[in-house]
Amino acid sequence: MTLPYESFYEVYRMTELSKIRNFSIIAHIDHGKSTLADRLLEECDAIDQRIRAEQMLDSMELEKERGITIKATAATLTYTADDGETYALNLIDTPGHVDFNYEVSRSLAACEGAILVVDASQGVEAQTLANTYLAIDAGLEVLPVINKIDLPSARPAEVKAEVEDIIGIPAEDSPEISAKNGINIHSVLEMIVRDVPAPTGDRNAPLQALIFDSQYDSYRGVIVYTRIKQGTVKPGMDIKMMATGATYKVVEVGNMSPTGLIPRDALGAGEVGYITASIKTVADTQVGDTITGLENPASEPLPGYRPVQPMVFSGVYPADGAKYQDLREALEKLKLNDASMSYELESSIALGFGFRCGFLGLLHMEIIQERLEREYNLDLITTAPNVVYRVTKTSGETMMVYTPLDYPDPMEIQLAEEPFAKVNLIAPQEYVGNIMELCQQRRGEFKDMVYLDANRVELHYEMPLNEIIYDFFDALKSRTRGYGSLDYELIGYRPSKLVKLDILLNGDIVDALSFILFADNAYPRARKICEKLKENIPRAQFEIPIQAAIGGKIIARETIKALRKDVLAKCYGGDITRKKKLLEKQKEGKKRMRTFGTVSVPSEAFMAVLKLDED
Amino acid sequence: MPILTKRLNKTSLGLYIHVPFCRSKCQYCDFYSLACKDDKLMDGYLDAVCAHIKEAGALAPGYKVDTIYFGGGTPSFFGADGLAIILTTIRRNFDVDNNAEITFECNPDSVSDKLLHRLRAEGFNRVSLGIQTDDDEILKKLGRPHTYAQAVTAYQRIRKAGFRNVSVDLMYGLPGQTLRTWQETLDNVLKLLPEHISCYGLKVEEGTPLWDYKEAANLPDDDLQADMYLAAVELLRSRGYRQYEISNFCRKGQYSRHNMKYWTGGEYLGFGPSASSDFAGKRFTLTRDIQTYIQGIRDGGEVMEDVQEIPLRERAGEYLMLRLRTQQGIAADEYERLFLLPFQPLVKVLANHRSLGYVGVNDQGRWYLTPKGYLISNTIISDLLMAQDESEPIRRLF
Repeated sequence: MTLPYESFYEVYRMTELSKIRNFSIIAHIDHGKSTLADRLLEECDAIDQRIRAEQMLDSMELEKERGITIKATAATLTYTADDGETYALNLIDTPGHVDFNYEVSRSLAACEGAILVVDASQGVEAQTLANTYLAIDAGLEVLPVINKIDLPSARPAEVKAEVEDIIGIPAEDSPEISAKNGINIHSVLEMIVRDVPAPTGDRNAPLQALIFDSQYDSYRGVIVYTRIKQGTVKPGMDIKMMATGATYKVVEVGNMSPTGLIPRDALGAGEVGYITASIKTVADTQVGDTITGLENPASEPLPGYRPVQPMVFSGVYPADGAKYQDLREALEKLKLNDASMSYELESSIALGFGFRCGFLGLLHMEIIQERLEREYNLDLITTAPNVVYRVTKTSGETMMVYTPLDYPDPMEIQLAEEPFAKVNLIAPQEYVGNIMELCQQRRGEFKDMVYLDANRVELHYEMPLNEIIYDFFDALKSRTRGYGSLDYELIGYRPSKLVKLDILLNGDIVDALSFILFADNAYPRARKICEKLKENIPRAQFEIPIQAAIGGKIIARETIKALRKDVLAKCYGGDITRKKKLLEKQKEGKKRMRTFGTVSVPSEAFMAVLKLDED
Repeated sequence: MPILTKRLNKTSLGLYIHVPFCRSKCQYCDFYSLACKDDKLMDGYLDAVCAHIKEAGALAPGYKVDTIYFGGGTPSFFGADGLAIILTTIRRNFDVDNNAEITFECNPDSVSDKLLHRLRAEGFNRVSLGIQTDDDEILKKLGRPHTYAQAVTAYQRIRKAGFRNVSVDLMYGLPGQTLRTWQETLDNVLKLLPEHISCYGLKVEEGTPLWDYKEAANLPDDDLQADMYLAAVELLRSRGYRQYEISNFCRKGQYSRHNMKYWTGGEYLGFGPSASSDFAGKRFTLTRDIQTYIQGIRDGGEVMEDVQEIPLRERAGEYLMLRLRTQQGIAADEYERLFLLPFQPLVKVLANHRSLGYVGVNDQGRWYLTPKGYLISNTIISDLLMAQDESEPIRRLF
């Protein structure tokens, strides 16, 4: 059933279009997408047993910890089907979070089919739907698979009916599997061969290769993951990125296997593989862009390209101001591998030099932060994330506001607008009341509500993006006992009553704590922030007023009483070691503080302000 | 190597004997002590301490013992005979200075005339009496087995027995205490005219019975404790007591010479379970378990719990942490000579705190904390430690 690697080339060189299947796996989070991918790889023996680890395709440590896929990856599996023919199965693993919807759409555009994994007890969820629609929009054949049938709570028949009713695709004959326990994996492979359409394309046409991901490698430069739609690409060929205009000479082409890259003579239409061309940064290989030949170029790029657009911005500063250069270098390196993040120098009076970083969403932001802290050993202070506001000044000039630092004086503002999103929420019907209450608190505008089945409801809202990015998902989870799921999509800008809230410590504005918000929310939020800061800023030798102000008008205030007593009354022979440790700890705590004027603020205080829990 | 008190001839040494027996455990106490009168255990302890002293004496021929301190626990509860035997053993195995300060701690419920006369005769010359408060209700709440009247009687007996150097321990920040009752306590106790007074703010330590009901104990808050402290400093000063350390006050220069060693980098050896030593560049602590201690000494087993060689750089931190507890404070020349580190970075911090009234500096250039500064000494010391971390060693010697 399997072939040794030596024959891999043979199979490939001769792979006819009819022997290729390109597919993705899509699912709601935790429904078992990555586990199924692993089983498929194993079944095809593509993974060397010695290096086998759980969830092979999720390669980042963080991905494993969080159990989600952040970057798309791909692998070519060689499978000899029951019909005796050997097929090349290209599995493209897609990111699994709403922050990465565009990346998902490009990965799907590289495929002809998608396996839709649905949890046999959870059934259809918000992202099941969202991802299915993405796949259908991309013209893919969607093939449901019912996973986790070994769970006692599994209800495969009902879930199949759900898939048919809600999504409207046949599921009667869908394989019932357990990816975790390797049950029925073979039937999934047979289904892929049978039901995923073979790719089409002309290998002699001008080259059109879709970039669906890229990865930076310090030896080869950027490794571009691509699906050849038309034509052929070979080493030595001059290529051009149609959106960025950058040109390169191809160094190597080949296929991805879970254990590494396998070079080949050429990649032709219908195939999935990689290209290297001494490309220095992934910014030159934008996801969704089309690669063509410099000679005999394609007349049109492939449809669907969209430049990456960060949606959430936040100030990232080194906790220790002296580490600014280290942070810059770390961001440069991360950026090599993540074109969707942006960063720009920013300087705050309070925090000194740092960067305004743009992210696809809060998860993306957390991931970048964690990677900076872990992989580059940095201690960071992150300011409250904000969306991009659009302000039309009285002068008629329109500006995009990426940071509260740039927010114009209220006198100069003619119109302020904020981005809105369409939000789909799915939850058991008993939580509808809770969800509605939550959405109302978050300025959601109710659109409609659909019963998915006797028990579950899908609600549609339009809501300011700003209300979603903070802690909306957490709030939703807690109000639905974890059953609620969420998906959102940007729909444009709408006028809004916005204000900039400033925080003053001991009378001085700490610019890094300023943020923009909806005017009606200003009072409760200001009070909450002052309280949080009071809890998190240690007492100093003098009283510290904490104030929140809008345009110079104080709207909330707390006071940190002066420190009167911080002393070890007794310190004799037996106490010295212990008390020394105590003072060392106190000293280390101080090192992590930032001083604003005369007030020391620990980085935890910034974090606390970020996590204002509404309850 | 002794850091500060190197003498031309012999190096001075303090001895601390931990006597871990009490009539009962106080609610706030986290010292190692057993509330029992088990003769066999006490005998085993006595043998072990004496054997330990013999062992250690042989290792310290270059030292002259000029302070001996029996702490606890309640040494008076252990009895005069035992204390006398230990002191005799010390005299036989160490070179004890004729003018050595020899202190024992006692509680009002365990001092008889007989015990006091005996110990005076043995050469004990300083007594530390635990009074804590004059409020019998609080004493009861704290689990102390005596009344204030008993404390006064004990004090008079101590005087009658001929002790001319007596210290009393008092506590503030006690359950239900107010600023006024605390000041009254001080007034009452001052009538006794002790040479030395220690005033300790109550600290609720984890693992003590008080910890478990601290929320319900009606304890004065930090601000009130601070007021109590400043009131005590002021009152004692006005009555002729010099504050020579954060919690210690004395008349006529009668400070505790033994305790002063802890704060000035002197060397000391500890005996008995949980006792600590700073000797020959190492700091070590004995096991907190009396059986382990007894058996370890008898069979040559392990009795140390923690042995640390303290590098010079760390000593420099200790210098700040400990010296600033005392009225002597710290000085540039002394600091630079001892640790080869620049003092300048510290001056910045000190000057800053000085401008706010927490730090003073005298004509000799010694920096010290004011009473207000003592109250937030952790804050000031950690600021100094931070400045110290950033300073490079003075290179002229290398």
